[in-house]
Amino acid sequence: MSVGIETASHKAYTEGETTGIPMGKIGIWWFLASEVMVFGGLIGAYVLFRIANGGWADQAEHVNWRLGAINTLVLVTSSLTMILALSAGRSGRHQRAANFLLATVLLGLTFLGIKGVEYSREIAEGFTPASGMFWSFYFLMTGLHGIHVIGGIVFNATLYIAAVRGTLWSEHHEDRLEFAGLYWHFVDVVWIFLFPLLYLA
Amino acid sequence: MMSTIENHDREYIMIWVWLVLLLGAGMMVFTLPIARMPALALIFGIAAVKATLVLRDYMHLRSERMLVYAIAFVPVILALGLALVLIPDIVYRH
Repeated sequence: MSVGIETASHKAYTEGETTGIPMGKIGIWWFLASEVMVFGGLIGAYVLFRIANGGWADQAEHVNWRLGAINTLVLVTSSLTMILALSAGRSGRHQRAANFLLATVLLGLTFLGIKGVEYSREIAEGFTPASGMFWSFYFLMTGLHGIHVIGGIVFNATLYIAAVRGTLWSEHHEDRLEFAGLYWHFVDVVWIFLFPLLYLA
Repeated sequence: MMSTIENHDREYIMIWVWLVLLLGAGMMVFTLPIARMPALALIFGIAAVKATLVLRDYMHLRSERMLVYAIAFVPVILALGLALVLIPDIVYRH
């Protein structure tokens, strides 16, 4: 599936001797595995509490599902720009890759901006983390996800600067784009489940 | 070479189109004349399909080796198991 040419020296530098998989890729997947346990445990606790407490329908109806849906569209679109950045980077279209990286950063900031609007509206209406179990989970899960989005934006912005300067495209640094992409898509996957859990169910 | 790259890019855009369509479908579920539990099952089924598309095509899991699958899915099974073993406690207490 991957597009691009890998040189022998590059392979020797990045691949594990026994696995044949680049060390960095194994590292990022291990990191994502630990993240699955963090979000998986949290989502599991939320679902069980919700089942045990009659669904919290009266509290859950106050979230703005339209803004949640717009944010889902924004994040899904940022996943597209991220993978197009990787595709462009691997095929030597460096300016195009930098542009898509910038688009991904801007879409991430858009996501946070919309989330900020949501939070401010909810808090103005009197819904805070202390307003009940649903709101405690809501602010905890979306807040933790938001922190991950901020981390992804910082990662992607760093790569964008490196791409503009041309330092991203050296032989041993190009894989960073793939690792950043894996992290960003994971953040997208987490939101794909948080959206129906918090806004639709 | 360039046409192969363009094909890949077109494929990525098609996946995005599917993700947007599935997002729309997920939000339309509650307008259907079906009970709440089947509607919820449908909503989370659609979310699972969307997540699979991102994992398979954007995270390239379909071309990864078994080791990556093992790293990725063992914690998913553990997290699901963690929640499932607590369900009897919920059932008997509430």
